Amino acid sequence: MSIAPTELTESNTRTDRPWITLVWNDPINLMSYVTFVFQEYFGYDKNKAELLMLDVHQKGRAVVSSGSREEMERDVQAMHGYGLWATLQKDDQ
Amino acid sequence: MFKRKRGEVVLSLESFEVEVLDQLFDQMIALVEIEPMPVEDPLERLVGLNGPSIKPSDPAMARLFPDAYIDDFEAAADFRRYTEHEMRNSKAMKARISQSLLHDWSGKRAMTDEQAMAWLLSLNDMRLALGTRLDITEDSNDRDEENAPGYELYDWLTYLQGTLVDSLTNR
Repeated sequence: MSIAPTELTESNTRTDRPWITLVWNDPINLMSYVTFVFQEYFGYDKNKAELLMLDVHQKGRAVVSSGSREEMERDVQAMHGYGLWATLQKDDQ
Repeated sequence: MFKRKRGEVVLSLESFEVEVLDQLFDQMIALVEIEPMPVEDPLERLVGLNGPSIKPSDPAMARLFPDAYIDDFEAAADFRRYTEHEMRNSKAMKARISQSLLHDWSGKRAMTDEQAMAWLLSLNDMRLALGTRLDITEDSNDRDEENAPGYELYDWLTYLQGTLVDSLTNR
């Protein structure tokens, strides 16, 4: 299974942004809620938020953001605040 | 249920529903406020380095406060030490804000978007805690009949949260 979802744009995969936040699928969070969180926190438009949510749901996980380690720790903490199951790691792509 | 009326989010509940939610908020607050490790050193307490470093053993708590790193135990422990205390306070605060809106209930209440967000996160925390305890899966046929009242409560919270997401999405 591939870690990087197809929606990632070039600017997200530049080598100076070596850390990624992953959101993992779980059976409790509502699909509409996960989409709402992606829009609310990341400011993604509805289309992108839905594609990411579907990636999480169907592939088991999706990369929702990338950047410095500190930025990703902040994103992961925010996701945990919303009750989403998120982790960060170095982007090994 | 939640509805958006003239720009406001309005919650309507029967009085028995208010009682159930009031108790659930009490339980959530008690659950997230249990400090897993005593903070003894005043300096460490000040800088917040002495938070817990190990994932909670209760599966529901482990789901509310998951590890931030999958394959780096040390980094996961550090992250937890720095963040878990604040996360617990934040969840307790949102539950308190939500619960306070149930006082002197008269059938329905309009709320600000900030109050609605507190409800959204609190309802989600409740569903995570209850759903984990019930071992919820994506297949509703997996349900154990002995836990029927628990599933009924879980489904009702799911319905309630769904109406709130709709109210916040369709502004």
